[in-house]
Amino acid sequence: MQSKRNEHLLSILVVTAVFIGMIINFGVDSRQAVDARNTALQQYLPPAGSVDFRDPQQRALLKETLDIYFPENQGNNEALVLEIQRYLAGETAASISSKTPGSALDGSKLLEIFGMLLSFILVYVLVMGITYYGVQTLAIFRFTRMKQERESYLAELWTYLQALRNKEKKVAINPLKIFVYLGKACAKGLLYFILFSPAYVIAYSFKTRFDTDSFFFMVLLGVISNGLLITYAQKFFTFLVGESRKGYVETAVVKNLHNDYSTNEKSGIPLKNIFALRKAFPGHVFEHIYINAHQQYLAAIKEQASFLISGLVIIEMALNIQGHLCYELMQNILYRRFDVVLVIVLGIFLVVKATEIFTDSWIARDARRYANEEGAEA
Amino acid sequence: MMKLYREKDKLWLLIWLGGLLLLWGWNLLFLNKPAQAKVQSGLLNTFFISSLVIVFSAMLGWISGVGSYFLEKATSKIPYLTVTFFLNIIRSVPQIVGILVGYIIITVMIQDGSLSSTFYIMIIIAFVISLFVFIEISDLVRERITYFRRRDFYNAMLVCGIPEWQIVNREILWKNSVAHIFNKLIAVFGITVFLLCSIDFIVSVGLSTSVSAVNLPVTLGSLLAKIDSKQDILAIGYFITHPGYFPKLFFEHLQGITVAFLIVFTLLCIYKISNGFARRNEL
Repeated sequence: MQSKRNEHLLSILVVTAVFIGMIINFGVDSRQAVDARNTALQQYLPPAGSVDFRDPQQRALLKETLDIYFPENQGNNEALVLEIQRYLAGETAASISSKTPGSALDGSKLLEIFGMLLSFILVYVLVMGITYYGVQTLAIFRFTRMKQERESYLAELWTYLQALRNKEKKVAINPLKIFVYLGKACAKGLLYFILFSPAYVIAYSFKTRFDTDSFFFMVLLGVISNGLLITYAQKFFTFLVGESRKGYVETAVVKNLHNDYSTNEKSGIPLKNIFALRKAFPGHVFEHIYINAHQQYLAAIKEQASFLISGLVIIEMALNIQGHLCYELMQNILYRRFDVVLVIVLGIFLVVKATEIFTDSWIARDARRYANEEGAEA
Repeated sequence: MMKLYREKDKLWLLIWLGGLLLLWGWNLLFLNKPAQAKVQSGLLNTFFISSLVIVFSAMLGWISGVGSYFLEKATSKIPYLTVTFFLNIIRSVPQIVGILVGYIIITVMIQDGSLSSTFYIMIIIAFVISLFVFIEISDLVRERITYFRRRDFYNAMLVCGIPEWQIVNREILWKNSVAHIFNKLIAVFGITVFLLCSIDFIVSVGLSTSVSAVNLPVTLGSLLAKIDSKQDILAIGYFITHPGYFPKLFFEHLQGITVAFLIVFTLLCIYKISNGFARRNEL
């Protein structure tokens, strides 16, 4: 564990040093670049009051005029109109507040970013906690269904219809049953679609219905969207299946541990144990399958954390949630304040690194506990 | 039919292709021609870039996986530690952040005129994405080598005088790990579609003023960010409180619904294909 920790600390040191160097460099460069660009832009500014840049029609008119005079470079004409618009918006914003996205990287700006980073971490920790629970619960639920030899709802409906066609004695025609199967299949399909939807698709679908900028909605989106939950639930399920095929499971069954996977039997796996926060299945062989699969899942948590952060960045950026870390990142990319951009990226990098260190310690602790490895390497 | 049901990867591949074909037919009937052309080019560009990412990731993953294995065995540990250090740094950068930085560089290159061909832009975008997804392939390659190194045949082949690079590349990876690598590449295709659409959506929504002047290729993500597509997506929310509006989604809001459906349906099908493939080959 010690060597892992040293490796993490070394990479934190190196990356932080490189970023600080770049931040200082970009701080000077971007201020000079912005000044130079603004000076160059002054000559293109139309006389005050001649064009209202808040009016899209007047902007379009100016662009078309430029296209008539300079038809060979229409892309640049559009860029020029946008640059002027951005410049004037910046001027207006600067006159209202000193804390515009383009403001300098000073103590107050750093403090502002730090506050946003803390809020980002809070969302991240919450979503991570919920998905940690959700991934295991979903995977265990699926695993028990597999052990019960249950098939998909459509397959069950097909089997039922086949039985009806073959006129099996025990099967009676029940139209309600057909609707229930179809309803369950549709609900499952819809759930799959939601779980695989990128956050922005879900968020824009409900933008006019809910307050999509709320803290709660961000956490909810982080959990259910971008395929995070379903992907890692599948991973955990694979670990469970892999473990259940190992020899020790047979030995445990021979030694009289329960091996029944029904959810309504005492010797089975009750639903309340599956949905419990702290999962335990005493006296059942699944207890050991779960513990071993959980150890493998711990290694995947680092990957899950990185993917989750990607998801949160997408949510904040795509929804333009003002006052959030990634909205600030986006604004500063737009205003070409690369020093602020680097500070935010460094913050996100440190969050990932902290997760990696925490996970490696957890893996090492578990290895000492279960594999009896003193000072085990993660 | 039952055989196809059991081979879930083939079944879902058929569902995916069938779904795309059905949607194309529907759009041919009910979507206006300019929007249809945009959706088609968006879809093709997305799949083209994602396919390129597969190629680049396979190459980078194979080279870095095998390379780091041989570097670890070398007498000097410095090259191995350096490579591992940089790979770990890439691992610690959230993919979307890394790709966003790559996009900024591409935008700067386009604006200063050093990059103008759409084809080359797509290749560079694919390469940038590959840089942040190839680690999974690299890890798999290392895992497979470590697994087979413990087997008897490895030492037996060494004793027979077969060069180690040949054992690793041909016997372990080519002959015994192609299914594993192929399965990972299917997953890489899915993650690329997700990342590409997300980054293009973000860039088009948030940075539209700085990139509209440059010609980034149209993808499903950038199409979804267009105002008319966003209006179409908003209509889904409207339908929840006005169920009678449901049929109109498929006629009046077809562009946005089509793009959103293509993204989600593709992600779902790729996930199912990958799982089915893993189960069929007992990976």
